[in-house]
Amino acid sequence: MSAYRDKDPLIHGIQSKIRVVPNFPKPGIMFQDITTLLLDPKAFKDTVDLFVERYKGKNISVVAGIEARGFIFGPPIALEIGAKFVPLRKPKKLPGKVISEEYVLEYGKDCLEMHVGAVEPGERALVVDDLIATGGTLCAAMQLLERVGAEVVECACVIELPDLKGRERLNGKPLYVLVESR
Amino acid sequence: MHRALIFSSLNPIYSKLSTTTASPDSAVFPKRDGGWIGPPPVFRLQNYKRTLLPPLCSASDSVANQPKMASQDEQDPRISKISSAIRVIPNFPKPGIMFQDITTLLLDTKAFRDTIDLFVERYRGKDISVVAGIEARGFIFGPPIALAIGAKFVPMRKPNKLPGEVISEEYSLEYGTDIMEMHVGAVQAGERALIIDDLIATGGTLCAAIKLLERVGVHVVECACVIELPELKGRERLGDKPLFVLVSST
Repeated sequence: MSAYRDKDPLIHGIQSKIRVVPNFPKPGIMFQDITTLLLDPKAFKDTVDLFVERYKGKNISVVAGIEARGFIFGPPIALEIGAKFVPLRKPKKLPGKVISEEYVLEYGKDCLEMHVGAVEPGERALVVDDLIATGGTLCAAMQLLERVGAEVVECACVIELPDLKGRERLNGKPLYVLVESR
Repeated sequence: MHRALIFSSLNPIYSKLSTTTASPDSAVFPKRDGGWIGPPPVFRLQNYKRTLLPPLCSASDSVANQPKMASQDEQDPRISKISSAIRVIPNFPKPGIMFQDITTLLLDTKAFRDTIDLFVERYRGKDISVVAGIEARGFIFGPPIALAIGAKFVPMRKPNKLPGEVISEEYSLEYGTDIMEMHVGAVQAGERALIIDDLIATGGTLCAAIKLLERVGVHVVECACVIELPELKGRERLGDKPLFVLVSST
């Protein structure tokens, strides 16, 4: 589901603050830059508020954010809904004991890690990132949480690139986005 | 062992007392299609009284460059819970280093909330328009503070992460150097900024962040961290820039 389809007037304001940078990180990619959104305090607050409205009071105790831009959106949401924030990181960043999930990139593989003990079985969790493209990273994040017995209630992103069909890759898990970019 | 530290020292923060306008030459903002738009409407700053905040430690503190320890009476009651929520991991990332792990603080909803509140209480209403956060753990603490005080959030990143035009600052590591980057146009000359990170060790990274902001004419009001490792003397490396921390760890 996406907020954009609801034609919320706040959404238009948020979308207009996202900057598209052509040919980054490589030719042919139109990079969705959320840093310009963060420069507008009202638009940034509206972004967080839209997620908070959706998830407050839903008994969600974990917000997992994907390094690094998920660290920007996840904590404000977690604080407002009274959930803990769990960073999901690239390898060797987390200092304690971790569990790891490997996932496939266009060329090669990468790995996402979470601290052992951060999340308990039965907890209800959100996964937050700035953007969903192919869905590979979000899948890895969901796997980590499910492996420790948490229930992933929904994945939440500011932006979706629908042409990359990430939504389908989430194995039926709901995805909520504010903005679609084609 | 953590010592809970709270405010002491000599130099209060001063708010800007005059109105200001953004210089048209320095104010450019990125547009969605990659072009640039002109400066925002001029904003006028109100006159503020000199702040009533507790003063801060500064490098020029005559008491042997050490922050005074808070007595039981002065300590904010939230600090001890914050301090005890931080986990120390020995020998990470390499032997001999006692790593200060804030992820356990983030699992304690009240302590995380209190951490943010302590910064927000200090900086709200002080005409700070920029919170710069250092990748990656500064991204966790910076945005909630920015949102609460109505400032913009500016990520300071490792090389080749920011997609637009950047300015770069090189800084020294124990072995070799690293680079920090900031987007061109994110901040305007004359803005008042905070720099946030989870921890200050040698102060090298914070120094690089200060330089990036000052190069574009921003006034860095203060650096703010959850944790300080005082033996590494990062506070001195910041020169005249004030540093505010919640917890000191030796």
